[in-house]
Amino acid sequence: MIQKRTRVWLTRLYPRSWRDRYGAEFSELLEQCLRSPLDILDVFLGAVDAHLQLLSGENLTWRMMNMLNKIRTTILIVFTAFIGFVIAGFALVGMLDDSPMVPLMRSTPSLAVLMATIQVGAVIAFLSVVIGGLPLGWTLVRRALQKGHRGLGLLLVPVISFLVLVLYVGFVFLVGSGRIQLPGVVQVVQPGNFPVGNKLMLSGILGIFILGALASVLAVWKVISRTDVEQEAFHVGGRVQNIKIYTFAFVPAVITTMAMLVMLIATLLWGVISFSALPQVFTANYGPWQTSTSAWFIGIIALMSLCVLAAIFGLARNRLEKID
Amino acid sequence: MEPSEFGRFSDPALFILASLAGGEKHGYAMMEDIELSTGVHLGPGTLYGALSRLEQVGYIEALPADDRRRPYRLTSQGVVFLHQSLVSLEKFVSLGLKRLEA
Repeated sequence: MIQKRTRVWLTRLYPRSWRDRYGAEFSELLEQCLRSPLDILDVFLGAVDAHLQLLSGENLTWRMMNMLNKIRTTILIVFTAFIGFVIAGFALVGMLDDSPMVPLMRSTPSLAVLMATIQVGAVIAFLSVVIGGLPLGWTLVRRALQKGHRGLGLLLVPVISFLVLVLYVGFVFLVGSGRIQLPGVVQVVQPGNFPVGNKLMLSGILGIFILGALASVLAVWKVISRTDVEQEAFHVGGRVQNIKIYTFAFVPAVITTMAMLVMLIATLLWGVISFSALPQVFTANYGPWQTSTSAWFIGIIALMSLCVLAAIFGLARNRLEKID
Repeated sequence: MEPSEFGRFSDPALFILASLAGGEKHGYAMMEDIELSTGVHLGPGTLYGALSRLEQVGYIEALPADDRRRPYRLTSQGVVFLHQSLVSLEKFVSLGLKRLEA
């Protein structure tokens, strides 16, 4: 019997859209019927034929599925980039916390305007993700409930990640308020003396957040890749509306990308103006846990840029054609 | 769609339709049935090349998957197409035989 790895490899010779439709049954067939090298040659020829069909646009169903994959991947890339951007945003807030940049912002109108731009951009991007993601999320939950435990288990990953984060933040709060005593952790940190215990405990928040975000993104990607659904019926105002969940999310994805681009530019300008006004702050350690301010800021800008570039790439790779 | 429009998949397409005329089948069952009834071994690439085209034009339809196997069955359009193809073949066979006997 042919090895599973070989079957998977042979099936992967076919276009993605073809595999989405026939991959599972074709792999099952290969397990039973590959008898000679001629059969393997036949699979090669079949794969070439499938690619040619796709290129020539002969098969409308595959073209539609291919297009659906493109829109789906675009939405996933943009929403994942947004999560990366949120991490960068939290890092920015951590850097500003208790730093001399806060009073500087209050006294400098241009900095206040730039920070307001970042905040408004964050709200717009968040709302866009929520609006674009609601039909998709609802569909995934509904399908997972219909299909069984594995899909549900994967969809529970973001919920569990969030609960773990909340519990850990609660734990840190209890330690900070003195209700729980931990060796090596002090309640009040003195400037220039940040105990290792405190650093570890606070690093846990960022670590849990990043790990939870990664696990959640992977889980949702997995569920989406296994949910072969393009549209879903929703009851809106007493009427049934069929919504194409990925096409629906495209405009919010564009808005999210634009909001992220504006926030990146605003953050960059904010950093340049702040650095001009208070250069000593950037050479000091006002980063979270008394780490280098400039290193944090460069890291934040790098992460934000990466996320914006990923989102723009995601949008650009999708030639938005009408499926109808 | 004419049989010739299936290109190199014309014969396999006809074999598949004839096999499904005997009842719904999944890929491997079709392959075995065709080999048993015609002596022709369809490779997996050829089988699914023809199968996907037949499904695209609506001559066959997929049924809910049974584990990882997905059975297919003829549609009413497929029945009409198979009937026309076989009648046309029958005429051709009769003509050929008559000429041989003459």
